Amino acid sequence: MRILIVEDEKELLIGISNFLTKENYICELADNFRKAEDKLSIYEYDVILLDISLPDGNGLELLKIIQKFNFKAGIIIISAKDSIDDKINGLDRGADDYMTKPFQLSELNSRIRAVIRRRQFNGDNTLVYNEISINTDAKSVIVNENKITLTKKEYDLLLYFIVNKDRVLTKEALAEHLWEDNVELADNYDFIYTHLNNIRKKIKLAGGTDYVKTIYGMGYKLTDQ
Amino acid sequence: MKFLTKINRNYALLLTFTLFVATVSMYFIVQTILLNDSKEKMIQKAGLIRHQIQNTGEIPNIYPIVEVTKQSQFKIHSVKFNQISLNNKSENENEIYLEFAEQVKIGNGYYTIKLRQRTFESEDLQLLLTIFFGFVLISVFGIQFLISKNWTKTLWTDFEKNLIAIEKFSFNNHKQLILCETDIEEFDRLNSIIEQMTLKLQTDYESLKEFAENASHEIQTPLSIALLNLEELLQMELSKDMFRKVITSINALKRLSSLNQSLILLTKIENRQFLADTVISFNELVTLKAKEFESLFETKKISVSYEFSGVFSAKINAQLADILMNNLLSNALRHNEIKGFIHISISTNEFKICNSGASNGLNNDNIFSRFTKMNSETFGLGLAIVKNICSTNKLEIQYLYDNIHCFSIRHAP
Repeated sequence: MRILIVEDEKELLIGISNFLTKENYICELADNFRKAEDKLSIYEYDVILLDISLPDGNGLELLKIIQKFNFKAGIIIISAKDSIDDKINGLDRGADDYMTKPFQLSELNSRIRAVIRRRQFNGDNTLVYNEISINTDAKSVIVNENKITLTKKEYDLLLYFIVNKDRVLTKEALAEHLWEDNVELADNYDFIYTHLNNIRKKIKLAGGTDYVKTIYGMGYKLTDQ
Repeated sequence: MKFLTKINRNYALLLTFTLFVATVSMYFIVQTILLNDSKEKMIQKAGLIRHQIQNTGEIPNIYPIVEVTKQSQFKIHSVKFNQISLNNKSENENEIYLEFAEQVKIGNGYYTIKLRQRTFESEDLQLLLTIFFGFVLISVFGIQFLISKNWTKTLWTDFEKNLIAIEKFSFNNHKQLILCETDIEEFDRLNSIIEQMTLKLQTDYESLKEFAENASHEIQTPLSIALLNLEELLQMELSKDMFRKVITSINALKRLSSLNQSLILLTKIENRQFLADTVISFNELVTLKAKEFESLFETKKISVSYEFSGVFSAKINAQLADILMNNLLSNALRHNEIKGFIHISISTNEFKICNSGASNGLNNDNIFSRFTKMNSETFGLGLAIVKNICSTNKLEIQYLYDNIHCFSIRHAP
């Protein structure tokens, strides 16, 4: 999977690319409009992360070029502006998703995977993690060939864990993923624990292993090591 | 009181006063002039009579006007004027005369010449002159008054136009304030001062708006970098203590970021950067929003009930309406108790959201002010944002407490 990251803040650019490289993506970096334009004409990308405010141009203009050369690429706008206008504008011009800075890398990962899944029309939309397999089209989960029924939040949570396997996820990050903008409302995160317990029970009942480890009571990690 | 009315009123008052003083003094001046004139004439006449007696020996006597008497001895030394009152026999009433008495020596005899003149004759003249004078004054002043009144009115029309232009001026429509020239130095000076001032204010306003936009970007970017690094740090082998410190740092930065966003939102609302362009039905909005909140309500086992007896709608920016409802529902959820309830009632003129919660009412005075915290988890900006959205969109919000906490929104009168 090849990803183009267009971001003018170098620290952020490197941070994101380091993370995505670890996640086995091939990253191309561009810290301005011109470089982004060049890189777009050289390669085809699966996903493009696009910062709108660039020193030498508006990222929204790049959307036009992307549609010309890289119409297959999924586009995620990353912007510091929490502006609905920008969001609507970007999505109207062909972007798949819009993220407001600051964001969590695990959340970015999850969004990238979602975009890739959506773009692979004929591909196999099954995510496998040992005995657990998730069909993202049907939103069904099968453990050891036994179908288990999860609520929407439980499904989202499990998918998020598998996408971000071997990563420490904080309760807050999980809550943010589940509730997005309304995360502040959840003044305690006990419900994460409740959802997680339900998932564990259901997987165990189907004969699966509980891969989610609790870390110092403050975070979780899905791992089989 | 209008400037012109005030000027005219003062002018009229001054005019009346001047007219009164001028007329009264005119009366006395005319009186003195006439009196002096009569006196001179009497002295002349007395001279004539003296000659007549000297030449002819005849003593003229026309009572009461001329009275000459022969005296045995010299009595009076000097010329003397007197005011006397004589009885007019034919009309039987007292009349006031000016009397001139002089004693002269003609030949060997002494004569007293008394000349008299009725004063009312000159009084009539006096009055006539004064009235005429007064009339002339009134007409001159009056004509001037009317002319200047209309004239000043035309002088002020440009000023009035400029006033209206200033009244209609708004920073939001990006048009420069242009005032018309008036030909009057003072007005033009005022105009140029106002134009310069508004230009300065406008650039300040624009830069403030820009700041609000840029501040978001400038602050969020370093926060993103810090968060990204902390998140990566979290993936390393950490002791419990270190792990906890990283998490608290992440959460603190996130709070800072959302505080920043809330304050920028408040500034934007106060700068009226959101166009009220959609008529929003609160019935639809609250139903839609409550659905989004469903799973959050579940975590506290809160039941939501509705009572719609009409449609409450308002012209408001869609994004702001969304934030408004979001904050109201968040508020009702956050300050609710486990297994509590939320009741939403809507009529054509009121939207009301009530929730169960702490058994004491909140302070009405500062509930909507910034950083009034109910607990330490929040910034206390949610209701300040709600209040600002309401007040910039011709809505009125009130907090009521009657065993349950209620917020009521109505159209501002």
